[in-house]
Amino acid sequence: MGQTSTPEGGTDVSARYYDGRTSGATAVRLSFGRCGLVTLTGAAQSATYKLEELDISTRIGNTPRLIGLPDGGKCEVSDNDAIDRLLRKQAINRGGWLHALESHYLFVMLAIVVTLVSTTMTFKYGLPWLAERSARALPQSVDRSLGKGTLDILDRSLFSPTTLEPAIQARLSRRFAEMITTLPAGRDYRLLFRAGNRIGANALALPSGTIVMTDELVMASENDDELVAILAHEIGHLEHRHSIRMAMQSSAVALVIAAFSGDVVASSSLLVALPTVLIHSSYSQEFESEADDFAWHYLVDNSIPTGSFASILTRIGADGGDSVVSRYLSSHPGTQARIQRFIK
Amino acid sequence: METTMNPSPQTLPFKFHGKSGEYFRIWIVNVVLSILTLGIYSAWAKVRNKRYFYSNTELDGSTFEYLANPIAILKGRLLALGVFAVYSVTVWFIPLSEPVFVLAFIAGLPWLIVRAMTFNARNSAFRNIRFDFKSNYLEAAKVFIGIPLLVMLTLGLAYPYFAYRYRDFLINNSGFGTTGFDFDAQTKHFYLIYLKAFSALLLLGLLVAVALPALIPEVQSAGQLPNQELPVQGPQLVLMMLPFLVIFPVYMLIGTYIHTATLNTAFNHAYTTGQRFSSNLKVGKMFWIYLSNFVAVLLSLGLLIPWAKIRIARYRLENLALHTEDDLDGVIAGEQQRVKATGEELAEVLDIDLGF
Repeated sequence: MGQTSTPEGGTDVSARYYDGRTSGATAVRLSFGRCGLVTLTGAAQSATYKLEELDISTRIGNTPRLIGLPDGGKCEVSDNDAIDRLLRKQAINRGGWLHALESHYLFVMLAIVVTLVSTTMTFKYGLPWLAERSARALPQSVDRSLGKGTLDILDRSLFSPTTLEPAIQARLSRRFAEMITTLPAGRDYRLLFRAGNRIGANALALPSGTIVMTDELVMASENDDELVAILAHEIGHLEHRHSIRMAMQSSAVALVIAAFSGDVVASSSLLVALPTVLIHSSYSQEFESEADDFAWHYLVDNSIPTGSFASILTRIGADGGDSVVSRYLSSHPGTQARIQRFIK
Repeated sequence: METTMNPSPQTLPFKFHGKSGEYFRIWIVNVVLSILTLGIYSAWAKVRNKRYFYSNTELDGSTFEYLANPIAILKGRLLALGVFAVYSVTVWFIPLSEPVFVLAFIAGLPWLIVRAMTFNARNSAFRNIRFDFKSNYLEAAKVFIGIPLLVMLTLGLAYPYFAYRYRDFLINNSGFGTTGFDFDAQTKHFYLIYLKAFSALLLLGLLVAVALPALIPEVQSAGQLPNQELPVQGPQLVLMMLPFLVIFPVYMLIGTYIHTATLNTAFNHAYTTGQRFSSNLKVGKMFWIYLSNFVAVLLSLGLLIPWAKIRIARYRLENLALHTEDDLDGVIAGEQQRVKATGEELAEVLDIDLGF
């Protein structure tokens, strides 16, 4: 695009003129004079405007600028640098700072670092903190509604009725009831026994406040203290409201990733799902160690050897075969450390 | 009068001038400013983003223009957030209220779609002439409530008909200035797309069914090994990864085929007096772009999103053309009206895809 300096020291650029009434395009020249006057000259037209009357679009990359004229017409100008020089000379800098930031490599590097650091911090600390705060503000009845029906589904798909002797069940239920009395009032946690089948030796804390212990776990234990240690760990999950916090954190992560990734791939749901799963597993590791903390304190406060937790974890981890717990344990390098802290 | 004269008739290709390096810098500044302002800047970021793509799209020597006011978008976003917050909190405390919200959402959907389309069209311009979208609640309700009900009743058999009516709704109601677009595709074009996709799915499913037994015996014997030291072993891992290794690429390939064929059909049957579009996207090429975009975005922790967006925009636009019997000068501007951004922003938060 031709751009020349006029004798008066102004700027002259070629442009395409659109009148705003029809879709025709006309080649014109815009002359920006020294005294703030702009003259538009075409083959069949000529008009003069004041510079401050013009609505010049802000610069984005190297895309053409559109200059709105007071009579509703518009000029498209490709010569970005000429327009920028002119605006600088006239000390007009509307929105130009954005383009300046975008062109500044040091700032772009800084933006990358700030983005990566703040996203990581948000995922690692921000969302967990927010979820914990919100969970504390919500009554526990909310957790109940979250876990409604979970037991039914598990009973139908996974568990079968327990085959433990009623005497053993009663003995363990008594220990459990004793544990509940040490908690703040109003905790109506329940303990249920089920045959774990596919999941083997395992214990689960459902958001409804129900703890399910599998027959296989009871069989694998050498004394009741070991089971109390596991129960303390599960109560830790409930006391720390891990289910609702996990629900909040995971949906927040999915939202953040969806907001960033947009429509770059055909299946953005998978693009969202994969990192969400990864972040989810890191959250669950953190929750495990929070529940471990709870169990450790419970055992110490009640003079139960902390080694009980270590011994049962080691045992079900070693020959649990197919169980989810063992798979979890063996696939997590931190497990050894988890067990280690309970061995004095 | 020195006008840009175009000999008639002719084919005008769309050109795309966006560059990934340049766009990356715009994108990252958008992201960082949105983070630093706790999301408020995102309305401005959206406008800047869209302006970059519009202004880099050229047809017959002129570029497109995106004119939305960020403040309108910000208001829409805040309202959408408010609605979402009310919904979440109410449903937490009164789970029984969820059906009420779902019904209200379904009833509001046609309104949302019309508003979003109108906002987007009236804020898009070419040669100082704005695009337009004209529809009403009733028409949108037929397409977005009535036909989906039919799809449900026919157990999905009517889905291609919905796909057809959806594009028909979008294109027939769109206009440029006072010129309206028309759509001359037929239901059968869309049934053909889904029939081909379904046949391909059957064929691929058959292939997998034949290939899979070759793996199975090995997997089973490994699963029965007594006293496994490692709970997850090679063959079992393969079995666990199978959904990702087989189902995902197949799903993505078929999805890309439907997406590509629908885009081509939509454009190839869109016209106005004396003008017609043509879109010639290839499934293989689209699949490759989407697949490599997916891998690149995942491995770069999202930093290659700008590159991915530029690639797909370039390919799509470079295969789009306008065939015109005359020059493009004859379109007359319509009355310029402003429309609130609420529709589109609500739609965005609620994740409705309003594209083709």
